[in-house]
Parts: sequence; C-alpha cells; structure tokens
Amino acid sequence: MAQAAATTADRRTVGSSLAGRIFNVTGIYGIAILFLALGALLQATGVIHRFLTPENMLNIVNAATMVGIVAAGMAFVTYSGNFADMSVPTTMGFTGYICIALLRFGFVPAIVGAVVVALLIGLLNGFAVGKLKANPIIWTLAVNYMTMGIIRLVWVNKQIYPDMQQGVGTGTVALFDDIYRYRLFGTIGLPIVILALMVAAGQFVLTKTSFGARLKLIGSSLRAAKFTGIHVERLVATAFVLSAFAAAIAGLAVTSLTRVGAWYNGTGYDFMAVTVVVIGGVTLAGGRGSILGVLGGALIIGILNNITTLLGIGTFSQNMIRGAIFIIVVGINAKSLRSLGRDDA
Amino acid sequence: MERVSKRFPGTIAVDEVSFEVYAGEVHALVGENGAGKSTLMKMLAGTFDDYTGSISINGKEVKLHTPTMAKKYGIGMIYQELSLARPISIAENLLAGRLPRKGPFLDKAAARRQAKALLNRVGLDLDPDLPIEDISQHEAQLVEIAKVLGNNPCILVMDEPTSALSHEEVERLFGIIKSLKNRGISIVYISHHLPEIFRIADRVTVMRDGKKIATKPIADITREEIVQMMVGRSVKEFYKRDERAIGEARLVVEGLSRFGFFHGISFEARRGEILGICGLSGAGRTELARVLVGLDRADEGRMELDGLKLQGASMAAFLGQGVAYLTEDRKTEGLALRLSVGDNILAPIVDQLTAGLLYSKRRGESTVKRLIDELSIYPPDPSRPVGNLSGGNQQKVLLAKWLASEPKVLILDEPTRGVDIGAKMTIHSSIEKLAREGVAVILISSDLPELVGLSDRVMVMRKGHFTREMSFAECTEESLLLAANGEGVA
Repeated sequence: MAQAAATTADRRTVGSSLAGRIFNVTGIYGIAILFLALGALLQATGVIHRFLTPENMLNIVNAATMVGIVAAGMAFVTYSGNFADMSVPTTMGFTGYICIALLRFGFVPAIVGAVVVALLIGLLNGFAVGKLKANPIIWTLAVNYMTMGIIRLVWVNKQIYPDMQQGVGTGTVALFDDIYRYRLFGTIGLPIVILALMVAAGQFVLTKTSFGARLKLIGSSLRAAKFTGIHVERLVATAFVLSAFAAAIAGLAVTSLTRVGAWYNGTGYDFMAVTVVVIGGVTLAGGRGSILGVLGGALIIGILNNITTLLGIGTFSQNMIRGAIFIIVVGINAKSLRSLGRDDA
Repeated sequence: MERVSKRFPGTIAVDEVSFEVYAGEVHALVGENGAGKSTLMKMLAGTFDDYTGSISINGKEVKLHTPTMAKKYGIGMIYQELSLARPISIAENLLAGRLPRKGPFLDKAAARRQAKALLNRVGLDLDPDLPIEDISQHEAQLVEIAKVLGNNPCILVMDEPTSALSHEEVERLFGIIKSLKNRGISIVYISHHLPEIFRIADRVTVMRDGKKIATKPIADITREEIVQMMVGRSVKEFYKRDERAIGEARLVVEGLSRFGFFHGISFEARRGEILGICGLSGAGRTELARVLVGLDRADEGRMELDGLKLQGASMAAFLGQGVAYLTEDRKTEGLALRLSVGDNILAPIVDQLTAGLLYSKRRGESTVKRLIDELSIYPPDPSRPVGNLSGGNQQKVLLAKWLASEPKVLILDEPTRGVDIGAKMTIHSSIEKLAREGVAVILISSDLPELVGLSDRVMVMRKGHFTREMSFAECTEESLLLAANGEGVA
C-alpha cells in the first residue's frame, strides 16, 4: 500500500522536475525567440524597419555581449545568495583608467594591472560580505561610490585617452583598440568570443565543480552550509572576485570601444546585469539557475533594447520598461517558487 | 467533511478522509507528525483553494476557499503559534478588525468593556490595556482563545493547545472547553498527549499517512489501541538492546574549558560506545558540542582523536579529521530546505565526489540510495526538496547526511526532537548500528527515555561541569533527572 503510494509519488516528482528543467533551459531561449518574432511582426506590419537584417542581428548580439559578460560574473554573487554586486559600474570605469594609464609599460602589463586592481576590489567586497557579514547591496554600493571618488580624485575629474598618453606607441594603441574591434576569422568580434568562453567556463564551474556544488548550498541556506563545515567566507569571497573579474573584462572592452577612460563607462551596468541575471533564471533567493540561462537573459534584454530603439522609444522610457520587466520577473519568480515549493535547480 | 483530499506536489497529504463532528462534541484528532492532521484542519480553516471532496456545516455544503470564508461560517482555529501582535494592547488584539467606534473615533470605553467580557470567558482577570508583551506566555495562550471566541465560532479547532500551559492552566482550559461544549460548540482537539484526550474527548479519530484509520467513541478504545493505530506496529520494539563490543577510547577530552560556558570537562568516548550527555537547558551541553566540532575555540584543554591531537580552527578541519555534528536546529542549521534530499545528503562529502576538477553527483547516487533505504526516508525520492518532507523524514535526512560523511565520532544534539514515534525508532536503530560499526557516538538529549534507552554511559552536566557519570545499570529517568537538577547521591 505504502509502496504503491511511494511509486506514484516518485513518478510525479520526476515528471515535474523534468518539466522544470525543460522550462528553465529552453524557456528563456523560447522567450528570446518570442521577442524576435515580435520584432519580425512589427517589421512585417511596417511599424519598424530593418529589424530582421544580418547587420541588426549583429547589433543585438553586440549589445547583449557587454551586459552578458558582466552578468555571467555577477550571477555567481546572486547564486551565492548575495543579490547583486553594485560596485560593477565604477569597477568597469576604474579598470579602463588603470589600463590606459599603464599602457606605456606595454599592452600586456596594462591589461594584467587593470585586472589585478579589479580583483582587489572583488576581494574587498568578498571580505566585507563573506567575513564581516556586511549587507551586500549597501556595501558594494558604497564601494562603487568610493571607487568613483578615487577615480575623480586621482585623475582630477579628467577623462584620459589611450592615444594621448605619453610614451605609448601607436602599436600599443592599436592593440588596445582591437580589444573591442578585433574580429576572429574576420567576422566574430572578440567580446563575443570572450562571452562564449566565459559562459562555457561559468556553466562548467557552477554545475561540474565542487565549488559550484558548495555555492549552491550556501545560496540555498547559509547557515546549513556553515554547519556542514563549508568555508562559507572563502567561497562567498570567490563569488565576488569572479564578478569583479567579469566587470574588468567588460570594462576593458567598453573603454576600448569608446577609446576613452571615463568614470561613467560602466554606468547602468549594475541594474542591467541584475535584470539579465534574474531574467536568466538565477533567482534573488540564491542557489538556483545557470550561466546558460543568464546568456539567454542577455539576449532577451539585447533584443528588447533593439526593438525599443527601432521604435524610437527614448532612453528614459526604455529604463522604465526595463525596470517594469525586472519587477514582473522577480514577482513571478517569487510567487511560483512559493506556491510550488519545488526545487528546479 | 466528505472524502476530502489535498495534494501537494508529489504527496497526498490528506487522502479521501471523511470526518464529522457533532454539535457539542469534543472530538480528538490524533496521529504521528506528518499523518495529515494539520493539513485536514487547515482545509477547514480555508487555507487551501484546491482541495477535493466536500465540506458541509449544519447540513449545508460550503466552499471554504479563504480564511475569511471559514471565519464567516463559524470556524475558529487556535494554533500552537500565537497570532497576537506583541506591542499592542490585549483589547486591540481581541477586537482586531472590529473595534467599536463612536462616529469616526474609537470608542475606548466600549472596547475595554467588550475585551473584559471576552477575557472573563476564559477566566482571565487582566487589564485589557496591557500590551501582549507584558503578560505571560500562558496568559497570552488564553487571550488567543478569547480572541477566537470573540468571532462566535460554532466549530473550534485547537492544535496542541496545552503545549505551553502549566498544570493549573490546563485545568482552566478544560473548564473552558466544557462550558463551550455545553453551549453546543463543537471542538476538534489535536494533541499528542493521550491522557488529556481520555479526559475530555467524546470521540477520537486516528490518522496515519494521510488516511483516516478509525473514529471511535473514547469509551470503546484503550490508550494502547490508539498508539497501535497511530504507528501501525507494536511499540514493544522500543529499545530492544543488543550487545555491542565497546573498544578503546577514540575521542579523549581533558580539562576542556570555554570560559563562561563550561569548565574542566574531561571524558573519553570509546569505539562502539554511545555516550549520553544529560543536562538541563543552559547546562552548557550545546556549547560543549560546538567546541568539540570546531565551531568555537576552547580557552583551555586538550582534545585527541585516535591518539592524534584534533587540530584546526574550523568545523571543516574537524570534519576532515572525522568529527561530525548533528545540530539540534534541523530547519535552519541542519538542512537547506529548498535543496533536494540528495543534495543535502551529499553536502558533507562534496570533496570525495570530486576527481580533479570534476564534481559528479552521480558518484554519490548509490550512497544516497543506500541511506534513503536504510533510514526508510519517505518518499524515497532523492530529487524531492527536503522542505516538502515531514519533520520526521527531514530529521532522517539530516542523520543520513552525517552518516554519509562516515565519521569516527558523531555528536548528536537532540537527534529526535519533534519527531514522530516511527522516525524515532528508525533513527535510534540507525544510531545503534553506527556504534556497532565502531563509531564513538555522543548523544546529547533532553529526552530522558531516549538517553536511558540508548546510552552505555551517561555524563550528567550541570552549570558547565560534569557532575556525575552513570553506567547503563544506574540510569533511570528519575536518577538522571535528579542528577541534572543537582540532587541525589553523588
């Protein structure tokens, strides 16, 4: 009797978790395709033009790439149950400044130096949140402002340009410009390649390593993780370092694109990245989601931005739309998790 | 209630149960944890909008889809947890949502009068203006009852109403129940405390595994029969001791102190032994455990495991050397409720399942399966979130997690708190098996029968010191209780 009940119960859970898995992985891309279809429909009805063109598709991918890189790193912070890394914008800006300032020592030392500085910011965040139990949002927000202050103090509120630095050869400048502009096989931009590598590596780390398995426990229940003998502080710190690393890469790419070191180079990437992370299925509650999903989330935001731009909707309205989407997704997420009580991670 | 059912994802919590309560009857509802009592009553309270079957009150079928509807049909619920707002006054709590008004203003005098009348009904003589936080827990419990009575219910459900009451207050509550009964109000009384049921109930319904086993007039049934129906097997199997070979000392502790919590603790836990630690709450038992497992630092003293000094400054380090700790707080410290049974069980052995860079859950599948089997965790599904399991099964998962880590010393802090009899028996036999396999088990428990039944030796802890050691032969519930209280011959 009890055994019969057990087997039916068994089948049901397997079914629902399978459905959950399909929904999670393909659902996000399904929505992306839905948005593409919407764009195509708008084009067919003559509301917008030149949506379904190779150039525009490339635009979408390029737009999704930068935020995708940031989000692929920030997802680790969210996954660890620490919501978001709000220090991303100025980490990106700072990385650009450092890199340009160090260009006179050569291209590679400049890149390495910039990334190391970003990692230090990540380490600082990780220490404060992981060890000292600072509120992640407030702390990283404070670090964001502090870093901005440092930038404006050190460079006396000036922007700096790679081609106007003393002792920097044109070759080095060209290399720096190429960070964003280099095309693999003449077609695929370097940032896209980097994003692909980061997503692959991130997905691997999250699902196939002991770090990922432990981070899942930490994100699901910090106290249970602690009482399982997991080095919670270290792993949370690592999540913030990964986020800072991703911000550094994106910062270098943005600076290379704009050819200028400016404190505002990363403005808006904090909220955009959280939106992408959450749309991608990494819940703010922690311990759920995947980096592949985050990539899907980046594509959705990229398509959406593209359509709204083609529609001639201004930046302010676009921000409103993004904010509304964020609220809706977080709301649906929280509600469905509560009512189903199901683990689809 | 006619053939009502309620499913949760993957479980049928209540399976086609028919249940009726007569006017002016006290109807006891009993069953182990997870039997479906609470879910059944929550249906009556309008907590779910997706139950099947029908519910009729006074012969008329009603749909109870929201708590407000249930209230309107005269169903009152008194839960174990209080629903009172602590900073505001008794009167405001009692009359919440229907405070009397005079024009646009509150009518304070009328509110006081009405609150006073309600308090009188539960035999309390308190100033209605006092905030809830200034009255005792027991009084608050009675205020809670008064609050529900204020809605003039025709059916009153009480879920373990006496758990926080003293002997006198229980008598007072029984008096209240009798007077309600005389006024024709039906009472559903949920309790684990069988003597109470025999005192006040007219009929009793026993539930097990979501099904109704029987409804009987209380005069036609004995306590043993009720227990038999609840567990579905004989309780005689409890603590059938078998011989274990106790070997050499594994964990040796000398002069261990954590200032302010415990002082000069020395003992050894031997291979194959279950060493009980008994003490009242506040005696320093949990604080001692936290040092033994590396969560806190000792101020002085020495710990050795199998002749090697226990080293390191973290729980992870101690775990690596073979010391595992089952926390007393299953829900927040023990388990990640949102994660699956499998993920929880494998959490301590992530390293063993990692080869090079690659972590593989699959490598742990057989371990999970074996432990689910061994502890008869229900439902036997590794992918189910632990939070969906009943308390007893959650506790089994927690034990399974530490069994998976294959410790040399396992420290159990209240391993069966809030767990039903069936799960308790499973956990106990698993602990005994572990000892037989050569693990040194340290059992910290407030459950005296458990300590007496399982331990080979019991150390009595009082105010931070070990005051007595008792052999299995000396241990009785009475002797332990006396020793823990600092009485009896030393």
